[in-house]
Amino acid sequence: MLHVLKAVFTFFLLGYAVALVAQTNCGFRLRGRVLNESQEPLAGATVVLTEPSKGESTNQEGAFEFRNVCAGRYTVEVRFVGYQAQQQVVSVPQSDDVVFALVVDATQLNEVVVTDRRAENPVSTATVITAKQLEAAPGKSLGEVLQTVSGVNSIQSGPAIFKPVIHGVHSQRVLILNNGIRQEGQQWGAEHAPEIDPFTAHTITVIKDAGAIKYGTDALGGVIIITPAELPEEPGLGGQVNMIANSNNRGLTFSGMLEGGLAKPGWGWRVQGTGKYAGDSRAPDYVLSNTGFREQNFSAALGYHRKNKGVEVYYSQFNTEIGILKGSSTSNGNDLVAAIENEPPRLTAPFTYAIGQPRQEVRHDLIKLNGHLSQGAHTWQVQYGFQYNERQEFDIRRGSLRQRPQLAFDLFTHTLDVDWETAHENRIRCRGINGMFQDNNKIDGTSTIPFIPNFRHYSVGAFWIEQFRGPRWDTEIGVRYDYRLYDASGFTLLNRPYESQVQFHNMSGTLGATRKLSPGHKLINTLATAWRPPNVAELYSAGTHQSVATIEYGLLLTPDGTAVRDYRDSNVRPEQAVKWVSTYQWTARAFSLEVSAYANYIANYIYLRPRGVNSTIRGFFPLSVYTQTDASFLGADLKTTWQWNRELSSEAKASWLRATDERENDFLIFIPSNRVELSMRYEPHRTLGTARLFAEARGRYVARQQRAPRVVRMPDIIDNALMGRDIIEEDPRNFDFVAPPPAYVWLGCSVGAEIPAGKTRMTVRLAAENLLNTSYREYTNRMRYYADEVGRNINLALKWAF
Amino acid sequence: MKLFNRFLSVFCVGALVVFSACEDDDPTPENVPEVITRAELTFTAIDNSSAPAVVVTATDADGIGSAEELEADGPINLRANVTYALSIKLYNDLFDAGEEGYDVTEEVDEEDEEHWFFFGFTSGVFSNPTGNGNIISASFPNNGTVRYADEDDDGRPLGLLTNWTTINDNSGSGKIFRVILKHFDEVEKTDDSTSDDGETDIDVTFVINVTQPS
Repeated sequence: MLHVLKAVFTFFLLGYAVALVAQTNCGFRLRGRVLNESQEPLAGATVVLTEPSKGESTNQEGAFEFRNVCAGRYTVEVRFVGYQAQQQVVSVPQSDDVVFALVVDATQLNEVVVTDRRAENPVSTATVITAKQLEAAPGKSLGEVLQTVSGVNSIQSGPAIFKPVIHGVHSQRVLILNNGIRQEGQQWGAEHAPEIDPFTAHTITVIKDAGAIKYGTDALGGVIIITPAELPEEPGLGGQVNMIANSNNRGLTFSGMLEGGLAKPGWGWRVQGTGKYAGDSRAPDYVLSNTGFREQNFSAALGYHRKNKGVEVYYSQFNTEIGILKGSSTSNGNDLVAAIENEPPRLTAPFTYAIGQPRQEVRHDLIKLNGHLSQGAHTWQVQYGFQYNERQEFDIRRGSLRQRPQLAFDLFTHTLDVDWETAHENRIRCRGINGMFQDNNKIDGTSTIPFIPNFRHYSVGAFWIEQFRGPRWDTEIGVRYDYRLYDASGFTLLNRPYESQVQFHNMSGTLGATRKLSPGHKLINTLATAWRPPNVAELYSAGTHQSVATIEYGLLLTPDGTAVRDYRDSNVRPEQAVKWVSTYQWTARAFSLEVSAYANYIANYIYLRPRGVNSTIRGFFPLSVYTQTDASFLGADLKTTWQWNRELSSEAKASWLRATDERENDFLIFIPSNRVELSMRYEPHRTLGTARLFAEARGRYVARQQRAPRVVRMPDIIDNALMGRDIIEEDPRNFDFVAPPPAYVWLGCSVGAEIPAGKTRMTVRLAAENLLNTSYREYTNRMRYYADEVGRNINLALKWAF
Repeated sequence: MKLFNRFLSVFCVGALVVFSACEDDDPTPENVPEVITRAELTFTAIDNSSAPAVVVTATDADGIGSAEELEADGPINLRANVTYALSIKLYNDLFDAGEEGYDVTEEVDEEDEEHWFFFGFTSGVFSNPTGNGNIISASFPNNGTVRYADEDDDGRPLGLLTNWTTINDNSGSGKIFRVILKHFDEVEKTDDSTSDDGETDIDVTFVINVTQPS
């Protein structure tokens, strides 16, 4: 089997090499102009193209251009301050410019603040975070930026580690496409944030239904698509510089980008880099010791785009070193008691930039090669990605081992995607194949038994999607087949070697329909199935890792953890999900409303379930075992915007989620609680010189998680264990060591100015986060056991685009 | 352009080499020196009672992972009204006897200013010390003292050697004796250090019986 797979991969690669040498690659352009009623160009109008959703602004001549557009039919929407938004359906390829003549909005001469733009994929519930919104979250990590989308939260580990959660599901169940490549990093803990620099993104799209069948398995919760800006095609030079300072962690961020076109038409390049340097964050009452971080990122791209073909090479590197709150470090259950009870946390020290143990060092590299070619109604695309991820976790250790990581792994990932799209008048057909090969190895010399085995992972998949577009209905139907193989060799907890092979294969499907109601009203329904094979950590984990005073056993470990079972003899099954999402959209002149309701049923849902107390020579440890159950996630997201008058607008967002362990009729842990967010934005019509000013206020109410598992206090566990009683084994329901934190209100505000100066643009923004310096804890932050959240932060961001 | 094509072809060939080069490569096992797999407690009478020495061990084959539960033998059967010296030895059986790393006691002794043994016990087992020892715990209030018979280089107690005098009756049966070894690395060992500070190296509990010879 392995040999066959290897042959298939080799074939892919060879085919790819040949294809590249034969130079067969490209895309279409869609150009247009935006004019007013007197045929004068409108500069700075927002132009949105549907699926793959792209956004552009018009230049001084009112012109816009989209590159690398695949053949098909699209809706193009144009919006501009004081004008009525306009939509046109266009076919690509299109030789003529698309002209929009916007009509002044007589009733409302003011701007519709486009804070959240809908991708017009007819049959998908997607939210786009625009370049402008990214600008409003300067220097934030990816997970933090994503929280601006309703229905998206994050599981945090301290102030700098954010792992995105979509509709209550996270980790491997959320697929991240970084620059078109499926992001692959090590996933054996909740403290693993995506290794992506948001400064590389132009837009970020969040697809919240499971219908992302095109991108592969695992997308049970949704897909996050990070899209960089298109490369320039004309000679010239442009770029931007960002500088951000934060008061709370005394951190500085610097990011710069330079791009240009080569003398030869069609060629463009871009280089970009980001550096971050921050010390300890501060809660209102104490320093969060050892929460500083560093980040150095770099990316470069070179591309050639012509009418119907293009190639692109992209390289990025991400490096980070993050400190983990000292007070969260525990060596057994007893220490955990002290860590939880101490306030301020143990080992709290004065502010420092220094990072001690525990900490993590992570590096991620991505090389992407992409080629596309269009001919008539057909577009072919080939994409190869290479990723390297190194992860080292350092804990408090003894003597000479102090400088050695507790856990250290290398992960190599190769991906190859080939797809072929055929676009006819009312019908688009897309089919493709995906291949992936991964090689994970421990880095020798940790002097610990590795938490996960060395493994190789082979995946192949194929999909077929049909889209039909009609006057009242848009529909989509798709199927997908996947095969996956893990070949693992690791060590048991007795440091004895083992070998294990596991294979999975499965079909999944999607069905979507959009009903266009009366003008301004739309109803989108999608029903999708998705599946996810357990990942290696879920199968083979053995031991304990960073600041988790819990021993974890994978699904395939025997109950005593000393051996690994054969998959075929186990009752381990892949996760199977059915997700239904219905979204109703109503867009009127000064008002918009979007309501989504969803139900996601995940059979064989994998999670860490407490099983008992293990007595070790170092004392008692809670033991958690990866377990499967059936889980349901029912929820709703709401978003509405109002334009009060020409200068004042507001937005309200709310999300509600109810997650249940259906087999045990129990609650699941770390499910985001319900929340509401309100914001107001004031943009005076008059400018100050050339500067356009703005002020914004934001408030968030986060409810207490009422649906949290019962509380079992660690001292009770230990004292009973001392008497020979295992109270967790007696009642193995989910539990948590402390009750969920109370509800909280969070306020923030910002003021800023946008100053155009010739061809350049300067943006200044001064923001206050946690304005009232409230002490609070967030249920989905693992730091909540030990310490309060970050207190007030003043953030000054400067951006200069040229 | 030609150059670019060549670069790409070279890259792809390189990728092929990476693929075929993955023929491997069983992982090499790690030494696990930090682990303590066995704690041995020896009670030796130091008065003239000629009570026999008592040896108990707590064994945890893997030390950290807990795949194999801790097995504490015992009980600690002490004779009433005897003064014992307790000496503690620690071993890492993932090494062979004699190998460096096998005898962890040596390491603790060398780094004595970074280690401290704490003791907790049911009251009414010892006449000296009385109370519950010095471990902070809900069931054992640390209202007692421990007679340390050794000290570190800074003159603070260590606990590889301690002295205990048992009560002079038969009431001390089925009681509990607990030993915690704390390692002070991130925080310094001070006069005020408690069993709640530092990192836990061992935490073992035995049943203890004190009986008068019949």
